Amino acid sequence: MTVALAVPDILVARAQAGDEAALEALFRAFETPVYNLARRMLRNVEDAEDVLQETFLEVVKSIRTYRGEGYLWGWVRRIAATKALMRIRREQLRATEPLDEEPGKHGMHVGANIDLERAFEQLSDTSRSVVWLHDVEGYTHEEISELMGKSVSFSKSQLARAHARLRRTLGEGEGAST
Amino acid sequence: MMHCTMDDLLALRAGEASVWARRHAEECATCRAELDALYQRVAQLKALPALHPPRDRWAIVRQTVRTERNRRRRTWGGWGLAAAAALAGALLVPGLGSNGKLQAELSMAKNQSATLQDQVDGYDVDGRVLTGRMAAKLAELEDRIAVIDSDLERRGTLKPQAQDAELQLWKQRVDLMRQLVNVRISTARYVGL
Repeated sequence: MTVALAVPDILVARAQAGDEAALEALFRAFETPVYNLARRMLRNVEDAEDVLQETFLEVVKSIRTYRGEGYLWGWVRRIAATKALMRIRREQLRATEPLDEEPGKHGMHVGANIDLERAFEQLSDTSRSVVWLHDVEGYTHEEISELMGKSVSFSKSQLARAHARLRRTLGEGEGAST
Repeated sequence: MMHCTMDDLLALRAGEASVWARRHAEECATCRAELDALYQRVAQLKALPALHPPRDRWAIVRQTVRTERNRRRRTWGGWGLAAAAALAGALLVPGLGSNGKLQAELSMAKNQSATLQDQVDGYDVDGRVLTGRMAAKLAELEDRIAVIDSDLERRGTLKPQAQDAELQLWKQRVDLMRQLVNVRISTARYVGL
């Protein structure tokens, strides 16, 4: 999902002044893209909802620090991505999530005829986040590594492993890139 | 025959591939097909439908906005009382000029604002059923006060200058607070408090 939301400056100014109607207008404009981003990065619906809520609490708290550099959506998206990644890190500390899960988990067979969306869901939270942020949201590996507190090569290797896994899960090609 | 790895394919897509990978991809139909599949996969990911939140979370966010606004208003009110007390003491000192008069007016406006804030808090009917007209009026007044508070807070971070302008803001705030108290009283009567 690509978002190109233009928000009028006057709406931002009103939100910065604490105008509740303007803040709600921003919430309505961004709630779906924020939730979609969080839900693509996180496996759990409730976690994604919590990220949506946390993101807008942060937006309300910090909107006055937004100086209009770049699109507002870029600013909001960065907050949302950071919140989602913080949640992933917390989960990893709690459950020691593997960096990459083996296909075949969750009752799925390698090469089964499943669609991309389901294959994507089978990836680990970390891999899914890297794929989504890089391939869909357009973040660079440098930006992802900064958000994740990891190296650029970590981001690159996660992306390569995730695509190799998607390719195998979807049963594409047999010759190359194994 | 050695083929491109996924790292090579991703590097090709990013325009950062090695010379070997670029040459190989030109010659190898299998790797070109893999590269096409990669492009298609990413295009399909971008085309996935948007997922919508199952529940509306605005009510929770709005409640936080209101709580924060009330906290800030109380902070300003409390600060106004303290300033009023200090300045009232200062006015007892003879020989104060026009600046002293301005300060006195400023402290009076802050004092009035704080007193009105206490009255508003005494008629807090949040969560009660309101008529649409009353709810809209309350929201409008609170929004206008929030705008003034925002201006005053910004001034607080700068050097104290243009106190005339600051006095005008405080007077506007007092006027709006009076209106807010009137609406609150009407609302309290309406819901039988």
